[in-house]
Amino acid sequence: MGYVIQDSIEIAADTSNLRNVREFMSRLVGKSGLDERDRNKVILAVDEAVANIVKHAYGEREEGWVRIDVHAGEEKFEIVIRDSGSTFNPDSISEPDMKEHIRLGKKTGLGIFLMRQIMDEVNYAFLEGRKNRLHLVKYLRNPS
Amino acid sequence: MPDFAIQTKEVGNGVYMIKVEGFLDAHTFEEMETTINNLFNDNSFQIIVDLSGVDYISSAGAGVFIGAIGTAQENQGNIVLMKPTQNVMEVFDLLGLSQLFSFAEDVPSAVKMF
Repeated sequence: MGYVIQDSIEIAADTSNLRNVREFMSRLVGKSGLDERDRNKVILAVDEAVANIVKHAYGEREEGWVRIDVHAGEEKFEIVIRDSGSTFNPDSISEPDMKEHIRLGKKTGLGIFLMRQIMDEVNYAFLEGRKNRLHLVKYLRNPS
Repeated sequence: MPDFAIQTKEVGNGVYMIKVEGFLDAHTFEEMETTINNLFNDNSFQIIVDLSGVDYISSAGAGVFIGAIGTAQENQGNIVLMKPTQNVMEVFDLLGLSQLFSFAEDVPSAVKMF
């Protein structure tokens, strides 16, 4: 199968690099077959995923990296995000009740909630050698 | 558009307006949070947030408002969000926040909501 778009970026695991991630994703979604209504949302989903990794997989003084691989074809837009931080499985976070969240002033779990709302598939794996792998898939609305 | 800029001013009768420009993400949200908490510490709970200059918001940014609105309302105040951009409203819609927050198109309308 041939991919239409294939590109990667690796960043230091720091929130200051989220802007770079969004710019990287913006360039790729713009070239892809993703519907305009989905492009900003996919950028957001990746931002949320990377922000979670920076926050949870690495400690405050721990230096780490995050690698993002994008493979976009005629039927789907796939993103694989890898890091070597501590295990963080998004499946362990339950879906928030927004009214309860507001009532209690809670802010946790929102990023994962958005990822699941936006992406058609969110698959997590912990690989040997201390590597997390998050696979996000968005199916194109009108595949050719 | 700047990465992130924030200004606060009183718009009358104890109502404060925070004007935000740039993006509210996991890197910039803390400054927004500190600004709101500083107003709370000064017993100012009637806050308008001008979002017309915010091009991007993530859950970290939205989380600031989720965390603050309870405190504002418990102190007879509120957080009114003014002129959010389409991008920002999309995120609020995804999070189900559109029904739970007050939105205004301009300062006079926002002030009436307190």
